[in-house]
Amino acid sequence: MPQENKNPDLSRRNFLKAMGVLAVGVGVAGILRGVVIDIIPPNQNVESGYPTLQLALPNGNPVHTSDLIVNNPQIVIFNYPLQNEPNFLLRLGDSNNNDVAVQPTEVTIPATGAKFTSPGGAGPYKSVVASSAICQHLGCVPPEIRFHPPNDTSYPGKIHCDCHGSTYDPYQGFSVVTGPTQSPLPNVKLVYDATNDTYSASLMIGPVIYGRTSDLSGGNPISGNSTEVTTIS
Amino acid sequence: MNEEKSLIEKIMNEPQPIPRKVPDYMRKKGGIWYWTGAMIMITFFYEVITGVILLFYYQPSNAYNSTISFLTQPFGTIILTTHLYGAYLMIAFVYIHLLRNLFVGSYKKPRGSQWLTGVLLLILTVAAGYFGYSLTGDVLSADATDVGRGIAAATPFIGSYLEFIFFGAGTSIELFQRLEAWHIIIAGTIFLLFAIHFYMAEYNTIMPDPKEANYKAPLIDKDDKNYKPWYPYNFMYMMQIAFSTLALILIIPSAFALIPNIPPLLSPFPQVSPTSPLASQVPPYPPWFLLFVYKELDFQFASVIGPFWAVAIFTGMPLIYLFLIPLIDRNNDLKPSRRPLIIATGIVGIFYYVALSIWGAFRPGVPVPNSLALIFFVIPLVIMVPLIYYLAGNFEKEKYKNPNAWKIMALVSIAGFFGFLSGMSIYSLISTGSALSLGETVASLVFLALTILAIYAVYGGVKINKNPIRMTGTGYTVFGAVYGLLAVWIFTMISFIPMTSTRDQAMIGIGLGIIFFISAVLTKIYRAYAYGE
Repeated sequence: MPQENKNPDLSRRNFLKAMGVLAVGVGVAGILRGVVIDIIPPNQNVESGYPTLQLALPNGNPVHTSDLIVNNPQIVIFNYPLQNEPNFLLRLGDSNNNDVAVQPTEVTIPATGAKFTSPGGAGPYKSVVASSAICQHLGCVPPEIRFHPPNDTSYPGKIHCDCHGSTYDPYQGFSVVTGPTQSPLPNVKLVYDATNDTYSASLMIGPVIYGRTSDLSGGNPISGNSTEVTTIS
Repeated sequence: MNEEKSLIEKIMNEPQPIPRKVPDYMRKKGGIWYWTGAMIMITFFYEVITGVILLFYYQPSNAYNSTISFLTQPFGTIILTTHLYGAYLMIAFVYIHLLRNLFVGSYKKPRGSQWLTGVLLLILTVAAGYFGYSLTGDVLSADATDVGRGIAAATPFIGSYLEFIFFGAGTSIELFQRLEAWHIIIAGTIFLLFAIHFYMAEYNTIMPDPKEANYKAPLIDKDDKNYKPWYPYNFMYMMQIAFSTLALILIIPSAFALIPNIPPLLSPFPQVSPTSPLASQVPPYPPWFLLFVYKELDFQFASVIGPFWAVAIFTGMPLIYLFLIPLIDRNNDLKPSRRPLIIATGIVGIFYYVALSIWGAFRPGVPVPNSLALIFFVIPLVIMVPLIYYLAGNFEKEKYKNPNAWKIMALVSIAGFFGFLSGMSIYSLISTGSALSLGETVASLVFLALTILAIYAVYGGVKINKNPIRMTGTGYTVFGAVYGLLAVWIFTMISFIPMTSTRDQAMIGIGLGIIFFISAVLTKIYRAYAYGE
């Protein structure tokens, strides 16, 4: 049995204490570093550039032109460029449900006065367009914001957000029709492969997606080289 | 009479000073057995802290991807893998704590209700573990929730309600939202019940060595004026235990993370997604603490009576037995040799648990015929109960002169177990000649040799120096300086490792673990030098 050390050398005792505090201190510092790093939400650019993702049906097959309905009253969306960034996929037509070719146009951003050129329609009839489905006013998402086909009684041929009444024109590069929004919807550039009749999303054009510092941050990248197109009924 | 008062009456009407002074022998050699509860508490707090960080990142709508993405976050690998292994350690400590208290008889008066809350805590801890590993959304979690749904749905009368309550009405988002909610609710309940359990422990006092009271309950520690105060003596000892536990939690999963192709049963990472083509190659294992239930579902009669009744019988019966122990063994004898039934069933219970787990790990999903099941369950009972009664009788008559006789007997039975395993693996090696059998043979022979060595040492073959040479003050100082500088050096090293890859994070985890191990050693050195403990 070790005897009780009645009168240990005080300076040695303090030295041991200092060493103990030092070791525990660096251990706690190491742990705290992790805690602090992980409590701050990650905001790094998870993608170095815009990925090119093929549009695919839930069963994994690529989307062909025949899978898209002209003036579809249901909401068709896909995520791009990140997992939590939904976009409308529209095949635009006139009131007789014939395809309408959408030409690239110059779109003004009322908030800044800046201009950009919309990519225009893709596909055999140049009628397939896509844009962010997050309202640029206060971030409402489908079904609050949705496309009204040209035969609809209210807002025919427009994208209207039921939250505060912002209206966008998909035939004119998703430009602003009425406020309160001060910014058009960011356009998705679609690339059409005529040989295989498939579509790919390759770029975002226009303002930054609502609520983001950049289109490529604030979410997780989509794994694989396709993104799933789903229909909200 | 004092004995007529209920525990609640006593606690409310006769409050006691908390924290109590604790007896000095709790910090001496062998006193570690009084601290098994403290180790559970430390792992629990570690789980709460890492769990809260995971809560910031987990998305029930995106369960698998959000879990996998967290691994690439700085410190993500460390937090996720140690959260899993912290839970493994917590469950292991719960079992150790339970068995220790079973064998020393601390379920007897006045600690009956404390024992009951302990058994409830066991159930809650395993339940939290089940919901926790189901949260990842990987292929094992999909298997686990399928089995869980099946068992819940097969419950008579309320099956569909139970399935909806625990697993939701069918959508994936609702499933993971509910799993997450239950995981956290159960963790909160553990904390509340633990607080009650801990207060009861403080009220009933630590159970002193039964030798001092001639092995008669009730055993209560009488507050001795000579006991050292709680702070700093007990505090420092508790810190030493906390640092050691923390080191274990950090080092084990980080070391496993570095092993390539680690089997799913030991892997600290989530497995592949259930929709991946590789999913079929992952054996549908539960984690180790549920392997025994998993094997029991392979029994022929279990498939006849259905999964609910199989689980109700196989886990319900042992739990009911544990609840009833304070009522079955009511007399005031604390000597193990006067409680042969409890000791024998305890040993047989350990055998069932370990053997079923190993069986389930190596032969998953292989059906077991009724005849084999009968042999498996009856033979250990028929052998152990009379054997323990016979040995207990001999102990009562003081036939064994060696004071370590019971330790030798325990080790002989463990040696027998490894001998059996060696025999099986040698047979398998000769008949198949596979590398796996060779590994199994070598491992079981090594364990057999180690156990025989331990028997030899306990029997008195190895003399341990009874008067260890006490280090001088200079010695302590030198060791203290070396360890302190080592900790700072490791900290500097791990601070410069980039935190991008899983491998780098595992190295940081090991480094942090070693720092906490050094902290434990320094605490021990300080206690030895300053307090002479």
